[in-house]
Amino acid sequence: MLRIVRMLLATVAILAITLLFVDFTGIAARWLSFLPKIQLVPALLALNLGALCLLAVLTLVFGRVYCSVICPLGIYQDIVMRLRIWLSPKRKRRAGFFRHSPEAKKLRYGFFAMFLVLVALGLAGVIASSFAGLLDPYSAYGRMASRFALPLWRTAVVPVADMAAESGVYVLDSYPAAQPLNVAMLAVAVLTFVVVTAMAWRGGRDYCNKVCPAGTMLGLLSRFSLLKPAIDTYKCNRCGTCGRKCKASCIDTNNHSIDYSRCVVCMDCIGNCTRGAISYARRRGGTAKAAPDATRRSFMVGLAVAGGAIAARAADKATDGGLAPLKDKQRHPDAAPAVPAGAIGIGHLSSRCTACQLCVSACPEGVLRPSLSASRFMQPELVFTGGFCRPDCTECSHVCPAGAIKPVDAAEKTAIRIGRAVVDTSTCISAAYGQHCGNCARHCPAGAIQMVKGTNGNMRPSVDESVCIGCGSCEYHCPVGTAGHISSDKAAIYVEGYKVHLKS
Amino acid sequence: MKKFDTGRRGFLRNLGILGAAGVLGACGAGVASSDGAKSGRGQGAMTKRLNGATGDSVSILGYGCMRLPTKALVSGNEADDEIDQNAVNESVDYAIAHGVNYFDTSPAYCKGHSEEAMGVALSRHPRDKYYIATKLSNFAPSTWSREASIGMFENSLRMLRTDYVDYLLLHGIGMGGMEAFNGRYVDNGVLDYLCEKRRQGIIRNLGFSYHGDVAVFDHLLAMMDRGEIRWDFAQIQMNYIDWRHAKEINERNTDAEYLYGELSKRGIPVVIMEPLLGGRLASVPGPVAAKMKERRPDDSLASWAFRFAGTPEGVLTVLSGMTYMEHLKENIATYSALEPLDAEEDAFLQRMALEILQNDTVPCTDCKYCMPCPYGVNIPGIFAHYNRCINEGTVVRDGADPDFARSRRAFLFGYDRAVPRLRQADRCVGCGACLSHCPQGIAIPGRLHAIAAYAESLRASKI
Repeated sequence: MLRIVRMLLATVAILAITLLFVDFTGIAARWLSFLPKIQLVPALLALNLGALCLLAVLTLVFGRVYCSVICPLGIYQDIVMRLRIWLSPKRKRRAGFFRHSPEAKKLRYGFFAMFLVLVALGLAGVIASSFAGLLDPYSAYGRMASRFALPLWRTAVVPVADMAAESGVYVLDSYPAAQPLNVAMLAVAVLTFVVVTAMAWRGGRDYCNKVCPAGTMLGLLSRFSLLKPAIDTYKCNRCGTCGRKCKASCIDTNNHSIDYSRCVVCMDCIGNCTRGAISYARRRGGTAKAAPDATRRSFMVGLAVAGGAIAARAADKATDGGLAPLKDKQRHPDAAPAVPAGAIGIGHLSSRCTACQLCVSACPEGVLRPSLSASRFMQPELVFTGGFCRPDCTECSHVCPAGAIKPVDAAEKTAIRIGRAVVDTSTCISAAYGQHCGNCARHCPAGAIQMVKGTNGNMRPSVDESVCIGCGSCEYHCPVGTAGHISSDKAAIYVEGYKVHLKS
Repeated sequence: MKKFDTGRRGFLRNLGILGAAGVLGACGAGVASSDGAKSGRGQGAMTKRLNGATGDSVSILGYGCMRLPTKALVSGNEADDEIDQNAVNESVDYAIAHGVNYFDTSPAYCKGHSEEAMGVALSRHPRDKYYIATKLSNFAPSTWSREASIGMFENSLRMLRTDYVDYLLLHGIGMGGMEAFNGRYVDNGVLDYLCEKRRQGIIRNLGFSYHGDVAVFDHLLAMMDRGEIRWDFAQIQMNYIDWRHAKEINERNTDAEYLYGELSKRGIPVVIMEPLLGGRLASVPGPVAAKMKERRPDDSLASWAFRFAGTPEGVLTVLSGMTYMEHLKENIATYSALEPLDAEEDAFLQRMALEILQNDTVPCTDCKYCMPCPYGVNIPGIFAHYNRCINEGTVVRDGADPDFARSRRAFLFGYDRAVPRLRQADRCVGCGACLSHCPQGIAIPGRLHAIAAYAESLRASKI
């Protein structure tokens, strides 16, 4: 019975969390956005005391139910084990796949120490906190969901959206454009997938009890939980079934003992015991544990303007129709990165973000993308080549579970300057070649760009940096880098992100 | 749909039509009508008109080859804009089997591939079963020279796999004013060359199509009045909006009533283009559509425009670019046989024209002369979406409108579906390369910027 409740809750939770990563209508987020916020590692980084207290109380009362019904990676591993059971012959299934093993203290606390060091280094600004996030089970699941589930979902939904649009229903239409292939992110997701799946297949909850920092932290509490599975020594005949079928390998049948620091209260043993010797019953409690603090870090960036000359005018038009070719615009490689308005600055984002990719999945314009730079690996940054960060949109700030992007409303956002536009007059078709344009000025939502007469007599954009909010509309709308007949592949006006956002 | 109307009655009717046409033709009228049998829509044979000068019996429905089906229609991939030759063949076979015998193409159409595709499709039929109309489309100044222009004409013959052209048009006279007309046809001696070809029988009818500066139109007719040249036919834009309200659509255009009047006064057969005003008259605003359906519930909205264009007796043929087989079948039904408008219906359409004009649509006919835009903007695609939304009433500027949220979604998501983001109106830099190419004289950059501003205002207003 308890086992069925656990499986039901787990199924709902993993579906809901996966839905958050794939649903682009915003409907799922309205009801389910609390789920990422109660994930342990992001809550820790966000200093989300409410969530931390909730998890502590939950664990102190029920044991590590977090690992069974809240953590998506834990549930995912249960699914892998379920598959292994289904695919195995009956005899093997009856015999069980596991056996009791002692707690791997060195491994477990070794990884935990490493995690703490990575978090500390992240908070100190030495490295990106996404390296600590590599060990975080929720973020690991998020990286898999955003790389595997999202493309699948898109493939499945687009035809349905097409049909719906035929009849004038556009609910499903708000999916952002598909992001370009990001090999590094894909590699991380594939590697995570292979490691976690293989560990779950071979060793059950090995990842949770040897590697996972959330599992280790909760294990410290669950030793003292109020309710625990316990063996009735009078009823037990030491058949060993419970031990062989315990995916956490934490039941020592011979000694009638259970290692509660590793038990994820899956309730399997209760159902598997033919003599009804195991029950989920009341025991004595323990104490909770606090989270580390944060400092800010600084980050140096250089500014360089990439060259690239405009070449051609449009060819002599002899026939009608057709579409001129377009190019994939590239971001200036040396431009300082820009991060969303709630992020306070690159340092703050970098020290808190576990790279779960939820904001990347939530960005309606598809401009938030995982970074490839070593210092901010997998953490989000704004790329204005296929859209811009709309001043009225605050989606990413509301989904972040780690507090790396803090909530802002649209009014606040318009007063936060995340960067400023810089003009490259050597490639600007107006400044360098005197062609009629002014797209950057026309589309600037802040009214920060004016077309003025340059020294060579041509009109050129000039940016009022005190008004520019760094939204990237100019970079997106600049024809340079997009129009096929212009040789440069980078916009002639682009955003230099501010290290720390300015408020006006 | 019946494939052939080869019953005994149909055969007799056809005989009668041809007979009547012959008699009328002998009387010397420019165009003689032959809408003989009055029967239900799509129940009779294709109405034919007689070109008195050559004795050609031309179907009232002319096949326009400017919007030939592309592979994109099947694949859904917009970049797949190669002509779907199988679809063209099928369509041409069906048209010829149902009495259509006038095919109008140009070296400029379909990125320059229209003539070739039509050559392939038509050469599968006996040459005497159809009339080919093509044009000397020497718009680009680089083709104004005598050699380049003659080369273009000779290439047309090659592409069309024929050794003579039934109808040859000076393409788009009036565009670029008198200067362009003289540069393209007079100063280089090309007009004399074409007249020579007409004497040799390589061009059976020589005429012109007109857009833009009416001074050029008047000049050409004056040339004929002075006996300097004979125009065997002329092609003009005519529909129930342009009849009296051409100026309201576009300052540079001239009312079709005047153009048609001048031509018919001289007995010049008239070929009609843009009977649907680029498809706009196939989907008119809701209240107008309701009134049309009230009168003729089973007829399409487009059929009103086709009946209007075909009704005047001086009309030789009405061109329609039929991308879809359904359009072709529908138009054949409307003209088999043509039921001319009566005076009351004519007045009704004039009232509807005024009602349609009250909408703020862009007078784009999707001719694609503006394309390709060097910056990749899909100009006709944007205008088509905008016009559709205007006609459906989903262009709502007032946020307090109860339908605002729904209209906003319909406009924005429909926009993203119709035109990919990087080809939308906000990509227009205003270089103006398109302006000189637009036969409708639309201020394209200005209209694009206005549409971009409207779309941006919708995107910024979250509901």
